[in-house]
Amino acid sequence: MENSKRRFLKGTCALLAGATGATLLTTVNAAESAKAEAEIKYAMVHDESKCIGCRACEVACREVNEVPEGVSRIEILQTGPFGEYPNQFYHFSRKSCQHCEDAPCVNVCPTGAAFIDKETGIVSVDAWKCVGCQYCIAACPYQVRFINPVTHAADKCDFCRETNLAQGKQPACVAACPTKALVFGNLKDSTSEIVQVLRANPTQRAKVALGTRPKLFRILAKSGEVVL
Amino acid sequence: MSALHFDTLVWHWPIAIYLFLAGVSAGAMFFAVLLKHFVLKQNAYKSGFVRAACIVAPVAVMAGLGILVVDLTKPLDFWKILVFYNPKSVMSMGVLILLIYQVFMFMWIGLTFRKPVDDWCETRFPIVLKLTALLARFEAAITGLLVILSLALGAYTGFLLSALPGYPMLKNPVLPLLFLVSGLSSGAAAALLGGVLMNGKPDDKEVHFIHKVEIPLILVEIVLLFTFFMGLVLTGGQSKVATFNALGYGFWGWVFWVGIVGFGLSGPLAMNLFMTSTSKRKWAYVAGTACLSLLGVILLRNFILYTGQMTIA
Repeated sequence: MENSKRRFLKGTCALLAGATGATLLTTVNAAESAKAEAEIKYAMVHDESKCIGCRACEVACREVNEVPEGVSRIEILQTGPFGEYPNQFYHFSRKSCQHCEDAPCVNVCPTGAAFIDKETGIVSVDAWKCVGCQYCIAACPYQVRFINPVTHAADKCDFCRETNLAQGKQPACVAACPTKALVFGNLKDSTSEIVQVLRANPTQRAKVALGTRPKLFRILAKSGEVVL
Repeated sequence: MSALHFDTLVWHWPIAIYLFLAGVSAGAMFFAVLLKHFVLKQNAYKSGFVRAACIVAPVAVMAGLGILVVDLTKPLDFWKILVFYNPKSVMSMGVLILLIYQVFMFMWIGLTFRKPVDDWCETRFPIVLKLTALLARFEAAITGLLVILSLALGAYTGFLLSALPGYPMLKNPVLPLLFLVSGLSSGAAAALLGGVLMNGKPDDKEVHFIHKVEIPLILVEIVLLFTFFMGLVLTGGQSKVATFNALGYGFWGWVFWVGIVGFGLSGPLAMNLFMTSTSKRKWAYVAGTACLSLLGVILLRNFILYTGQMTIA
């Protein structure tokens, strides 16, 4: 009995040591990969004071990324009308992937199908690796993920990483916007348009209290109502 | 907003059933080990309650995993979860725990039923005897690790949900403890119910032992449930909104107050106290109490899963 107890203790200690070692190793690896930071970190600004709610971005995205009917990678949400007739106006906000620096979807994905592209900082989906557990859809605080009815994999905005961006073009929504309300660019390049816009304007990001550090910025339109 | 269909609902009832079954398996194994080591010793294999637990545990965990696989949008790709791992993902680590748990579960069951297994294989498959002898050398380690793994599995069912930052009610540190304790009590109930169905006597010492453990377990569960919602209310903001959405009027309010607090917790607690004080244990009492416990835990899993997804951050 004494012997078996000792064996059990030994076994448990060995197991704990192994588990700790493995965890440490991954942490060290992660720290090393963070050192060699990429030169590109893509982000987007949606200037709600310029947006007219024409939904050209929604249509362009669907076409370029072959998004099936019934689901969408980007939605323009409309609130209002505000103000007194005839000076009435609506608010338009963009609902799409926020490309979080600390993305809950990437953290919870059991297979690594949800990942952050190291070269661009874009949160992406490997449709082949995805098994469709929908953990990422539940984890996303912004409710922007969905199951693509054609591939049966989780899907969402990837800044056109596999389509327009791969061809050296701007994302479909940005190219389609008639009022230039969308600005896309590299946060690491201090001369880029997006950095200039971010320096010149007060911006907001959604649900920062959750610690997700999103990279979709919004310039707010003028106030419409008093909300407490 | 309907109680069972709403925009922010991602995971529906099959996940709740899976969480329930994983908890039952973990609890049944946990109590089987306790029964063997504190009550029955080497005669454990003769007990209807240990037998029931050793049938319930593997059936429940495999049925749960089956439900999980069928519920994927790509069920045939489930093997990718077993090949690719993400150390940051609670689900991925849960899969690992589930796999190792099942290995140790079968080894422990084999050891507990070593005598009948050896007797049956002696002439037919003598090689099996060597295997059981080898396992017996590591009995203490297998038992210890099985206890740790069953507790880990029970807690994992809660961590799975508390890793979702978008739902303030689920992102709650008390949830894993609550699911662990209710999972253990559901395992005990399953062992009791299966035991009396398999001709275990309702007045056996196993029943006395389980009931003695079950009373404090239910009390702890009530305290955890209170802490769970009190913590949410005091956190304020959407956490507070989520609490009142869940516990207020409507379908889920009824499920909570009548189904979980009434039938699932108060019922078994009262029956256990009554049976302890009168030392009357009839078949119907034991089976009825166990059924109430199981019903309460199924309802709790569904209640937390659905109401947890009703309110977003």
